Amino acid sequence: MKSVKSVVIGCGAIAREHLTALKEIGDAEVVGICDISEAKAEAAAERFAIKKWSTDYQRLLQETRPNLVHITTPPATHFPIARTCLASGLNVLCEKPITAEYQDFIKLKSLAAENSCMLIENHNIRFHSSIERIQSLINSGSFGEVLEVQIMVHVNLFGSGSPYVDENVPHFGLALRGGVIGDFLTHIACLTHLFVGSPVDLRTIWAKRGGKSPLPADEFRGLVKGERATAYVNFSGNAQPSGFWVRVVGTKMQAETNLYEPPRIAFRRFRSQQVAVASLIDGLAEGLDVIKGTTAAFWRKLAGTNRYDGLPQFLSRVYQAFVREEAQPIPLDDIDAIAHLVDSFTKPELKL
Amino acid sequence: MKVLVSGAGGFLGRDVVERLLARGHRVRAIVRPASASPKWHSDVEIFYADLRNSEKLESAFDGIDAVLHLAAATSGNEDVQFSSSVVATERFLEAMANSLVKRLVHVSSLVVYDWHRVNGIMSENNSLLANPYEMGGYTLAKVWQERVVAKYAKAHSWDLTIMRPGFIWGRRHAEIAGMGRHVGRLYLMYGPWTRLPLSHVTNCADCLVAAVERPSAVGEIFNVIDSDDVRVWRYVREYKNRTRQPGVLIPVPYRFGLALAHLARLVSRRLFGAKGQLPSLLIPSRYESQFKPIRFSTRKLREKLAWSPPLSFDACLDLTYGQQ
Repeated sequence: MKSVKSVVIGCGAIAREHLTALKEIGDAEVVGICDISEAKAEAAAERFAIKKWSTDYQRLLQETRPNLVHITTPPATHFPIARTCLASGLNVLCEKPITAEYQDFIKLKSLAAENSCMLIENHNIRFHSSIERIQSLINSGSFGEVLEVQIMVHVNLFGSGSPYVDENVPHFGLALRGGVIGDFLTHIACLTHLFVGSPVDLRTIWAKRGGKSPLPADEFRGLVKGERATAYVNFSGNAQPSGFWVRVVGTKMQAETNLYEPPRIAFRRFRSQQVAVASLIDGLAEGLDVIKGTTAAFWRKLAGTNRYDGLPQFLSRVYQAFVREEAQPIPLDDIDAIAHLVDSFTKPELKL
Repeated sequence: MKVLVSGAGGFLGRDVVERLLARGHRVRAIVRPASASPKWHSDVEIFYADLRNSEKLESAFDGIDAVLHLAAATSGNEDVQFSSSVVATERFLEAMANSLVKRLVHVSSLVVYDWHRVNGIMSENNSLLANPYEMGGYTLAKVWQERVVAKYAKAHSWDLTIMRPGFIWGRRHAEIAGMGRHVGRLYLMYGPWTRLPLSHVTNCADCLVAAVERPSAVGEIFNVIDSDDVRVWRYVREYKNRTRQPGVLIPVPYRFGLALAHLARLVSRRLFGAKGQLPSLLIPSRYESQFKPIRFSTRKLREKLAWSPPLSFDACLDLTYGQQ
């Protein structure tokens, strides 16, 4: 089996997650790493035993000629780096959001098509074990017809030492539409697209509660009418506790999960028994699920498994597609639809 | 002398600036733009900059005779600490390289040593950590910060002094890692008779200023501690009594804790291989770097720098816990 030579550009926290996951993929060979900080690049190279490091990504690409380039830099730099890679005929795996502006993504998409390159955005959330489990139950018909999905992301933007409101070093998310909320919209859009299909119509609400913060907004709501169902999506920078809740409502059952917590799902099924018995069965099932999920999460932590549940699976599928010369695991048209949805969330004319 | 102090708004930086002023030096203090500037007793020239992103750092070095580099993060996750300590240092020294300044005193830490290989007494001759990646974010950042400093100093032929303090403590910063762990009402002391490498903030500031002033410090490395006379038991007891916190002191033999850490690592390796993760206290190298019962030499400080701490431990206690 041939190995896939890759280069990682950007040595921040997410790059470390990529590199940790790649160590487990037999087909992956990271041949170079780059960062504008020499120390960051050299430290990452030493830590992950990567032969070449550089502060100049163009020179590194020329010297290593990789099969795949991971772009893990701040979002505002994705477009120029990805454009350079694609123009040189190099395949690109880019962190989310793939570009700060949708029009830039369209340029990358056509460049990828012209040069027959893979262009894929990191939608690891789609491969989260809880999402995959729900998706498999939907496919098996257990949910009946899916009517609605609720996606709620709560992040404490204003906690002590929060990087989101550090006035000394503005957070990279501030370069995005919607400010730091823009950094979460890709995951929200990815799951919306997965469960309800492409949007037919949508409306949004943006608000700012933290008056003195540098953030343009810290609250976001969206209502999406999709091809197959509706979605209520939400980001709150003030609500606590933090979490990433996904609730899928079908005609036969409902499921709720928190993607920031151990992989466990609470199910509510239609039952013909008396209410008291049904709630006892549901309670026992939920309790069992909590114990199983918490134990599995503790075990995974001890085992040093990647903290992004879906990332190892996502990367493994990307590399597998390469080796087997198959289509990329997330079609470019799906990535387009998700990027378009992210763009729509921030359009002024769709705000209430 | 006119001294440029980075990290001047921090816990140690405030005292260092005060000490420089008391010694008759002029000071340009680098303070983060969005942070409140400390109130010093004499005039200080404030240079507002964040070393992680500020442009035009070069002008900070205009007319400067010596640089005292203190800026570093002591909290936050690994990436925050690496950016705030290492990347910030790279940018700072890149600006210094474009100036005429040749004298640099860098403040590192005792954590850069390989504590596992220290036998009996720690001195400046001990070897440094070769693989800092299984240590915490602070250690990783301090090791890399020192590497960056050494590289720049060599490339530009600077007169470098590296100072490596132990546990720096003082008012509102009396809780130190060497105390053990405070769990509810219990004070778990891993090795109650272990000697602590303490450096009170006032003494530490005095020592750093001595390093700036004395030509004998050029090209040298110093471990900065007041003495190793104070043991964990006494330090924790003073802390508990003087802060009037209720609780019980629980001594845990050092070797018992270390054996537990080795056992945990053995089980982890058997089950998960090299990628297995353990809590910080159950990683033998991290446990050793906090609690290993060794002695700490002050000989080089006394002989080469001709320095001894101006304040005794009892005087430091009064300064730390007494009325302001």
